[in-house]
Amino acid sequence: MAEIRFAAGAPHAPGLIGLMQTAPGPVKDVVAHTYRSLGEAIASSAIDVLIIFANDHLANSRIRAYPDFLIGMAGEHRGPYEWFKPWIGCRDYTVKGAPDIAAALFGGMTKRGIRMFAQHENLKFDDNISVPVLLTDIEGSGVPIVPVLQNCTVPPIPDQHRCYAVGQALGDFIRNDLPADMRVGLLGSGGLSHEPGGSRYYFIDEDFDRWFLDLVASGDHDRLLRELTLERMEAAGSSGTAELLAWVVVLGAIGPRPGKSFGYAAHREFKCGVGAVQWDMDANQPKLRAAAE
Amino acid sequence: MGLERFDPSLATHDLIQDLKWSPALREEFVLNEAGVLDRYPLRQDERYAIETRDFRTLYDIGLHPYLGGQLARLIFGNEAGKGATVAVNKLVESLQGKGPVT
Repeated sequence: MAEIRFAAGAPHAPGLIGLMQTAPGPVKDVVAHTYRSLGEAIASSAIDVLIIFANDHLANSRIRAYPDFLIGMAGEHRGPYEWFKPWIGCRDYTVKGAPDIAAALFGGMTKRGIRMFAQHENLKFDDNISVPVLLTDIEGSGVPIVPVLQNCTVPPIPDQHRCYAVGQALGDFIRNDLPADMRVGLLGSGGLSHEPGGSRYYFIDEDFDRWFLDLVASGDHDRLLRELTLERMEAAGSSGTAELLAWVVVLGAIGPRPGKSFGYAAHREFKCGVGAVQWDMDANQPKLRAAAE
Repeated sequence: MGLERFDPSLATHDLIQDLKWSPALREEFVLNEAGVLDRYPLRQDERYAIETRDFRTLYDIGLHPYLGGQLARLIFGNEAGKGATVAVNKLVESLQGKGPVT
């Protein structure tokens, strides 16, 4: 049985790279601590592959033919896509892909009734994949990735219940379809509160962000599914905050377990709240195994 | 102002995607905006709103806000801390009541 040995959720706000120089010291400290800790955890977990779920941000598909989930099957993932580079303010990168695992994921999710799409060509990455890849030095770690870009913003948006069910199918796929000795990492890339393109572009809902971080770190998934509604996320920042659904996919895959937060920061120029959680993959093992059986 | 007025049929969505995906089209848009707009089946009010940089009207008739933010960057600048900041401020100014921000 393959195992999930790393699981986390983290923001990908472009300002975390291109506008970092505008941030005060304490904000810089939270950002540096967060991504350094995640990078170290990825490296020390000795994972064979990192599957990253992230908001597609309308980067790859036309709005009238928009997939809910799009798997990147490339052998190498290069980014950022040309138009996003000055906006993020980042360098080019190349990360190893995992075409066989991506193909197995596509087949495994299809078999479990989850409609995903997949393409061999390099996906167009904006901040969604570029920011976590660069800030956690996934490129330097040598860990291959499978990016899965999801619809968090084009109605009808797969809601928290649907994304959790997708995550449960993902967890089942990892445990039962992948090689028995494989170690898998999962990252939900997105959030926290923000409203890109909206009339409240600079709005950061600190109350929502702190509530969300506490909730996902608590491991109470019943409450999460009751309270993390699309309406609540839209109120905390339209067209942006709902990308926390990428975290929900990861939570569905790992099941209820506690996590640790690395602190919280809000900086107006980032136009986005910043905070990440890493879940304890050694917690609740007997209970989760019993539930799986 | 969120997704409640979103109308995926607006051709402006395709224009923005094509501009993001094609450096050549972006260059042409700068030199001959009308010529580029002529190729898209834009409604009269939709085209006029683009020409006058009236994001408020575009959102009212159904432009997706995420792509609206990108249209602002395509027009006013896309570099972190520079043109992109101008674009955000122009967009917010339009959406918060000013309408055209040419």
